[in-house]
Amino acid sequence: MLPLANILTRKVRTAITAMAVGVGVALFLVLVGLTSMLREIADRTANVDAHIMVTPSSVQVLMGGGLPADSTEAKLRQIPGVVNVVPVLCWPVRMAGRNQNVYGIRPSDWPHFARGEGRILDGRPVLSGYEMVIDSRLAAAGGYAVGQTVDAWGRKFQVVGIVREGVAGRVFVPIDTLNECQEYTARRATFFYVQADGPASIGPIREAVADQLKLNAFTLAEYYNVLMQTFADMPLVIGAVVFVAGFVCFLVVLLTVYTMVLERTREIGILRGIGASRLQVFGLVMAEAGLISAGGIVAGFLMTWGARALILDLQPLWTIDIPPVRFLYAAALAVVGTFLGALHPALRAARQDPVESLRYE
Amino acid sequence: MPPLVETRGLTKVYRADGVATPALRGVDLAVARGEFVSIMGPSGCGKSTLLYLLGLLDTPTEGTVVLAGTDTRGLADGGRTRMRREHIGFVFQRFNLLGAISAEENVALALKLRGRPVGDAPREMLAAVGLEEKRRRRPNALSIGEQQRVAIARALVTRPAVLLADEPTGNLDSEASEKVLDLIGGFHRELGQTIVLITHNEQVAARADRLVRMRDGRLVTG
Repeated sequence: MLPLANILTRKVRTAITAMAVGVGVALFLVLVGLTSMLREIADRTANVDAHIMVTPSSVQVLMGGGLPADSTEAKLRQIPGVVNVVPVLCWPVRMAGRNQNVYGIRPSDWPHFARGEGRILDGRPVLSGYEMVIDSRLAAAGGYAVGQTVDAWGRKFQVVGIVREGVAGRVFVPIDTLNECQEYTARRATFFYVQADGPASIGPIREAVADQLKLNAFTLAEYYNVLMQTFADMPLVIGAVVFVAGFVCFLVVLLTVYTMVLERTREIGILRGIGASRLQVFGLVMAEAGLISAGGIVAGFLMTWGARALILDLQPLWTIDIPPVRFLYAAALAVVGTFLGALHPALRAARQDPVESLRYE
Repeated sequence: MPPLVETRGLTKVYRADGVATPALRGVDLAVARGEFVSIMGPSGCGKSTLLYLLGLLDTPTEGTVVLAGTDTRGLADGGRTRMRREHIGFVFQRFNLLGAISAEENVALALKLRGRPVGDAPREMLAAVGLEEKRRRRPNALSIGEQQRVAIARALVTRPAVLLADEPTGNLDSEASEKVLDLIGGFHRELGQTIVLITHNEQVAARADRLVRMRDGRLVTG
């Protein structure tokens, strides 16, 4: 009753403080949610029906035709334990306002990318020529549909299929067509997916690739980790931003509650006079801070919802995953920040001399 | 019968910047249960200091307050708060109602702080001071006389052993003063409420059973 009445007597200040807490909550949720974009890319790249990726030894970014496709494939197939080899030529193209990493693949290799039943949502896989398959996310973001024509590398490609998102690239074209578009006279590849005959063969295959072909060979799990390591500093940067936001919220709460206590010095004396203990005065101040915090958490959740919707509207291919448990973390963070911010003023209020407080003008 | 409230050699010295200012100089006062005592004296004579010490809001430099048979000397803040809750009701000169809540909630707060059930007690108490109809109004929507009556209701709703009133009519006009004094006097006569009232007004002081005068931190009569 009293805590709520007290904070409602200063509605604007209460609202501003709650908003500050809310901004902290929303920053935490949105920025941490944005890191899921990196994971989504790594997940897609590693989510192929194969065991090993073979890449040029000195290439960091998987793009361009760094390897001769046919001869490398032939050498890989000679390694004992290798069941299948899938050459991929990656090349960027501008679609839906962003560079997309197009996967040039052999049409016969499509089953390695079509993990799970019903990946084709509409149309069919690429067969030959200037055909293109795109995933559902890019289709939604760019408004692409089966039968539509897309300009790429000076050619007109026809969209022949829409596939469910989540495997490798967002765009697939025949590898021969992509080679032709890049004016390679001999077929080139960026990297190879290699399927082994069993887990026991993976180690020997990797050793053979390194020793005989002088190429890098990663398991898909290792490649996932390599990709995540590439972005290892990103969470640190985001963490720093979240920390600063949280600290600013803490300071706002501290200042607001401190001001509240100063303003109500006399009231605290009255409360002590009519029977309030120090603990009750402390509890009253903390309850007011708690209510502001609760308002801030609700505001933060609403801001998160709005910010996420806005970002995904502007950047449909970004990923902002916020699992429900993270809302609990954000709420806990806000509660802890508010508690710490309110602690000093609440203790000060509890320790106030009642007589001095009653004489306060 | 032992007194309900008794002070023994009560001394209070305020110290600021190394300067000692005595406010009370060895006050011995006894108030019997059911007695209405007025304490009169000029400004700065130590009346309010005495009242705050009687209400256990402050601690004496020397001497002690014995309240309901308990010597309060050496009690920590928690113990003094418990004694205050149990035995004391305060009425201040400036009413000191909480502005954010209604008259009824102000009265109920005194019960809630003691962990007692609220029920209809605040409403009945406001009816007793003639403000039942205005119980949902906030203090700033009441006249100053009405605010003081709410403060009296808040002080008495807990049925304290002793009501301490610090210049309760000091900010009121004569008509409102009369009403407040009639109310306080009525509680004394009809319910046997023990009252210690501070004033510098002779007419107000005359309402009491006994008048005690103070000067320079000492009792001079009574």
